[in-house]
Amino acid sequence: MTQGIDARLEDAQTRIASAASTEDLRAIEREFTGKDGVVASMLAAIPTLPPEERRDAGQSANRLKTAVLEAVATREAELADAALDAEREADGFDSTLPPPRLHRGTLHPVTRVTRELEDLFTSMGYRVLDGPEVELDEYNFEKLNIPADHPARDTQDTFYCDSPGSKATLLLRTHTSPVQVRAMERLEPPFRAIVPGKVFRQETTDASHEHTFHQMEGLVIDKDVSVGHLIGAMKTLLRGIFKKDIEVRLRPGYFPFVEPGFELDARCPFCEDGCSVCKQTTWIELLPCGLVHPNVLEAGGLDPEEWGGFAFGLGLSRLVMLRYGIDDVRHLLGGDMRFLSQF
Amino acid sequence: MFVSMKWLARHVDLDGITPEELADNLTLSTCEVEGLEPFAPHLSKVTVGHVLEREQHPDADKLGVCKVDVGAGEPLQIVCGAPNVGPGQRVAVATVGTVLPGDFKIKKSKIRGVESFGMICSVRELDLGDEHDGIWVLPESDGAPAPIGAPLAEALDMADWVIEIDNKSLTHRPDLWGHRGIAREVAAIFERELKPLDLSLPALGGGAPFPVAVEDAACTRYLGLAIDGARNGMAPDWMRALLLAVGQRPIDLLVDLSNFVMLDLGQPNHAFDRGALDEGGIVVRKAKAGESMTTLDGEARRLEETDLLITSGDAAVALAGIMGGEGSKVQASTGQLLLECATFDPTTVRRTSSRLALRTDSSSRFEKTLDPTLPALAAAHFARLLQELQPDVTFPLVLSDAGEWSDPATSIHVRTDVVRRDLGVDLDDAVIEGILGRLELTPTAASGGFDVAIPSARATKDLEIERDLVEEIGRIHRYGSVPEAPLVAAIEPPPFEPRRALVRALEDRLSGASGFHQVISYSFQADATVAAAKGADGAFVAARNPVAPDQARIRRDVLPSLLALLEPARRQRAEVQIYEIGKGYRPEDAGEDGAPREVHQLALALARPRPAEGARFDAGALFHLRAVVDDAIAAAGVPAPCWSADAAPAALSHPKKQLTGRWSEDGAPAGFVSDLDPEVRVAFGLSGELDSDVAVAVIDLDALLAAPPAAAAYSPLAKYPSVKVDVACEAPAELPAAELHAAIDQAAKGAAVDIELFDVFRGEALGEGRKSLAYHVTLQSVNKTLTDKDAQKFLGRLERVLEQRGAALRK
Repeated sequence: MTQGIDARLEDAQTRIASAASTEDLRAIEREFTGKDGVVASMLAAIPTLPPEERRDAGQSANRLKTAVLEAVATREAELADAALDAEREADGFDSTLPPPRLHRGTLHPVTRVTRELEDLFTSMGYRVLDGPEVELDEYNFEKLNIPADHPARDTQDTFYCDSPGSKATLLLRTHTSPVQVRAMERLEPPFRAIVPGKVFRQETTDASHEHTFHQMEGLVIDKDVSVGHLIGAMKTLLRGIFKKDIEVRLRPGYFPFVEPGFELDARCPFCEDGCSVCKQTTWIELLPCGLVHPNVLEAGGLDPEEWGGFAFGLGLSRLVMLRYGIDDVRHLLGGDMRFLSQF
Repeated sequence: MFVSMKWLARHVDLDGITPEELADNLTLSTCEVEGLEPFAPHLSKVTVGHVLEREQHPDADKLGVCKVDVGAGEPLQIVCGAPNVGPGQRVAVATVGTVLPGDFKIKKSKIRGVESFGMICSVRELDLGDEHDGIWVLPESDGAPAPIGAPLAEALDMADWVIEIDNKSLTHRPDLWGHRGIAREVAAIFERELKPLDLSLPALGGGAPFPVAVEDAACTRYLGLAIDGARNGMAPDWMRALLLAVGQRPIDLLVDLSNFVMLDLGQPNHAFDRGALDEGGIVVRKAKAGESMTTLDGEARRLEETDLLITSGDAAVALAGIMGGEGSKVQASTGQLLLECATFDPTTVRRTSSRLALRTDSSSRFEKTLDPTLPALAAAHFARLLQELQPDVTFPLVLSDAGEWSDPATSIHVRTDVVRRDLGVDLDDAVIEGILGRLELTPTAASGGFDVAIPSARATKDLEIERDLVEEIGRIHRYGSVPEAPLVAAIEPPPFEPRRALVRALEDRLSGASGFHQVISYSFQADATVAAAKGADGAFVAARNPVAPDQARIRRDVLPSLLALLEPARRQRAEVQIYEIGKGYRPEDAGEDGAPREVHQLALALARPRPAEGARFDAGALFHLRAVVDDAIAAAGVPAPCWSADAAPAALSHPKKQLTGRWSEDGAPAGFVSDLDPEVRVAFGLSGELDSDVAVAVIDLDALLAAPPAAAAYSPLAKYPSVKVDVACEAPAELPAAELHAAIDQAAKGAAVDIELFDVFRGEALGEGRKSLAYHVTLQSVNKTLTDKDAQKFLGRLERVLEQRGAALRK
């Protein structure tokens, strides 16, 4: 009988060890330990045995059951490991398959650069202001110390406008500077503000000229503001834009609404000894700026003996082009999806 | 404007200053230098040759074969067709390999069988004038023939550097429109002396002045100098070379002299043939209605009553300050001249010159407001230069000097503390005084600073206020020497800007999760775009001088700008999702100041192919876009508006398919989401193979800003699990989905926490006029776990509720 048990156990262990699936294991398990299985029938036969053999027979049956269950559990674990290993094999994996397209949206590059500058300036206490694109001559020129027939108007190539029913002299603002006086009229000094926005010039367009482009005006109104403060602020601005210290030079520039007026050149951040961006000069003309002209302060309702300040105008479109290496300004407002979807 | 270094050196010693140094220093202290070029660099390659002999070409009557000594090796054989070439002459020889203007490279050649090793040049071939009736026989300088073999530039002392200055940077400096003015700057910058120049009139005769009557205040001064015995001809070589260097072609002595004086002192002037003028003299007056004249360039000009004229008798002889009349050309035989040096009103000159699109060297100077004391100096300069060349000229008449003007020379008080404060530099009073003196602005110490005498040359629209002197001091001291200073103020965050926060929130959501591309378009809208969007009836702000005649309109609405992009975009990709946040202008709602009302809009457009037959359920572009809009608005912290189809649709919307959004029942519409009207869709090219399901939306940002904010509150998580039930409701086709939604809500007795439509079906199986809408319904209780039994009860109730509405539960 014991002999018979050992043989059965060996047979079971062999079959279990070679079982290929958990289903096979369950079948073997049922065959031995199920309701009508081998172990059950062994136990059922015990009452028919002589009393002295019953104890052994019971122990054998239990031993067989325990051994089968153990073997099944072992094999089951083996099979589970094998399945994990099989998964790790990853047959047919092609690491060079292209990923699927994500349908994501994009921000316009002008928005991206504008935001960067807004964040930089707001961190230094500047407000972000807005002004109308269709502007009054008064704000675009008169109050900026550019009276009618001033020769500076020649350099502006203004789009003058008619608006049905209006007698006002209207135009598309040629710069963001009109917001200087609007801000002085509306805000209590001292204040600092920037004004990003569209500006317009009547120009023949080509890869580097557009009739509509973006500028960002900056204005600081405070007491005892000097050229030194202006230089400091411009250097901070350039550090924020180019993420490194940039050498600058200030030279005279004529803009009727500032006095003295400057052109600020920055040492070309893209080269060491001349490149196409700086036209081989190693300087790029970046920021017209200056101390706010006393007449402009007066136009804004401020006493030039008490208040002063500086203003600057940043060519946003130009900066966007420099940032992304865009070679044709017309792409910015052209609305081509091939352009827009890159940002 | 071009400035010749050699010309400048007539006024200030430039020894030891390189062209680059000069250009850099002018840039840093005075004006913008745009370019620096050597004058006629080919002149240093062309050599002086000596013609040894000329023989007749064996095969050509008009050609000569010359032997020319160029100072190196054997004399060169050169075939030359010029009639005036002859032995003994010193000539300009371009040898083989020399490149002449026009990229003309001299090569060894064979002309009618005779070899030629170079070219003997004419004036024109060297780009030094228009003379081309023969080769240029070189002049003798200081009585000595030009040295054989020397480069022409050296032999004739023509080497020069030309600085180009950006005219814009001289807008406020009428004094810098001549070499003397630039030289004054150079003298101040390099601390050198300005060379003296005798600008006093030579002795004049006592004849009665030539009659000049100034009848219009737009001429503030008219000075006429009578000159007798002048012989026209060629200007001296030194003058021709200087004129050439600054881009002025030499014409003849009198024209060249006139130009020279203008480019030297900045005062335009004009020499008339005095004999050809009417005996009544010169009258300066405005043009009469219908008057016209022909200017020197041969153009007939129709005049207006705002144009100022110089007239003689009935005829206009010059358009004041702009250009002479055709008849006023001085002929070679002219011996009697009247030199005009005048001052005109800048605005008058500017208006006429821009109306006629006639910008001249003269008009661009008068526009800058010239010094009225300058005409006398310019007349003297002309007279003295002419007298040097032709000592026998005389000035027979008393000077004519008409017009009303006053010397603009003035005085400005500058406080040295203000200079230091504005520049941010601790400058000594003595340094300030020194700089002012170098600029010929004479300072006299006066309380807290200086009273500074401003000479007339700097007093016209240039130096007017104290701050102008701060600039003078700053630019000569150099801004590069100003120490950088930090702005100091209390650290306070700038005030919250709700509009900017709103725009950013919308952009972030739309360009992020919603997958839309942001567009920024022109504020101009083409007529075709406006018409295609059925918007042509609106009132528009329009540019008077648009870049193209059909692009004058400034947009009222942002949306049409997007619509115009859809066709090209759909050619590139199946699904186009774009938006723009921008401005529109409405003339009809003008403010008190006459400016049109500005509207701030968010516009969106979504275009995609129509779904294929039997494709998976899709709510369509319109409802997709509504979801995008609701979501973006929610991201901006505002509850989604209530959408209804009760408002009149926009002109570009499908007449039945527009949802109008409001935040309160009686509120003004805040925007809409719609399908495009089919005609509009087709007009924008979305038909045929590009036929698209197109939805558009417009949200008014001001309405959005005024909308009630959504509570920024969190909903507690449910304690009990939910049960999901799918229901399909069959209903008459015309029954709105909202009724079915309400029925489900009612049947759920408040337990429906989510009702999501997942299918809409119309088909034969349902019968004519029927539809089926299928929903995922999530039931959840706040106080117990719902079971299948609760779901069954819900379905029982739903069946009854649907029946009451003429609908049924599909099993």
